[in-house]
Amino acid sequence: MNPVTANRRHYEDLRLGEVIVLGQTTVSKDMIFAFAREFDPLPFHLDEAAAKQSLLGGLASSGWQTAALTLKMLGDSFLNGIAAAGGLGFSDLKWKKPVMVGDTIDATATIAELRRSRHHPERGIMKLNLDVKNQKGEPVMTMSLANLVELRDPNAPMVDEAQR
Amino acid sequence: MTRWFEDIAIDEPFPLGSHSFTEAEIIRFARLYDPQYFHLDPDAAKAGPLGGLVASGWHTVSVGHRLMVDALFAEADRLRGLGEEPGVSGPSPGVNHAEFKAPVRPGDTITYTLSVTSKRPSGSLPGWGVLINAMRGVNQRGELVYAAELVSFSKLRDFKMPLGVKLMLALGRVPGLGALVRRN
Repeated sequence: MNPVTANRRHYEDLRLGEVIVLGQTTVSKDMIFAFAREFDPLPFHLDEAAAKQSLLGGLASSGWQTAALTLKMLGDSFLNGIAAAGGLGFSDLKWKKPVMVGDTIDATATIAELRRSRHHPERGIMKLNLDVKNQKGEPVMTMSLANLVELRDPNAPMVDEAQR
Repeated sequence: MTRWFEDIAIDEPFPLGSHSFTEAEIIRFARLYDPQYFHLDPDAAKAGPLGGLVASGWHTVSVGHRLMVDALFAEADRLRGLGEEPGVSGPSPGVNHAEFKAPVRPGDTITYTLSVTSKRPSGSLPGWGVLINAMRGVNQRGELVYAAELVSFSKLRDFKMPLGVKLMLALGRVPGLGALVRRN
């Protein structure tokens, strides 16, 4: 038994269709500059004057920063309460609208798929659909994330999801 | 890409360089963006699924993006040095899929490579092409740790606006006639 996750919800406790409210984050100028300097040094993420002249018409966060800030909310409000065992990757990431300075993003995650790992029968694979909107309710980003979650009973027989 | 759509070769590997991940930066990224114990706490991580501290997959992705931006700026400078005008890339609409294939641990050095696997003129954005890019990150032992399929836009050098579109734009600027044309 992993002492860190012993008292958390395990794979068996998760339910298909469960919706998790991740909360909100307001994106400040300093946050945009800090991320852009390290990971995405393009003029429209780093320089307000250049950003005004760009296609986006103002200072916008890096799309990768929108993803990273969503992940932070996901960790705080969900992954740290379950026996999460690492990410496998993501798919269908779509940046639908830029996140501009001062915008507040609001995110939810929905459990879209649960199945046992064939390679690691002591873990399950959870797929989450993430949905991020701005303060006007406009979609800014969607994606699907695949995560491993520990089973409480690693010897539980593999059953079809429909039978749960 | 910093090359014009017409000049982009399919499956030509474009080296982006390498990055060594330190324990301190793995923890700092985790604190800001992915606060799970196996990215944050070296002692607690020992009991975790990977037997020790590992970088967030999103850290690996973000560093790859930084190296790509630097490499594209360098390529634009190289083209200018040859007396050529670099191409223009547009904002990315998204990522088809990305896989974290193996853990990145403190001290690992990841070498990233980008290649364009397909290109086609955009149906929705006249004058632009859609590129599918394969991004790969390999560690110092040659193991693939990160693979992704990124979508991006690149401008066409030889785009000629169709005569019909040009005519409509010109007529739209004529006072009185403009409203009639725009109604169609």
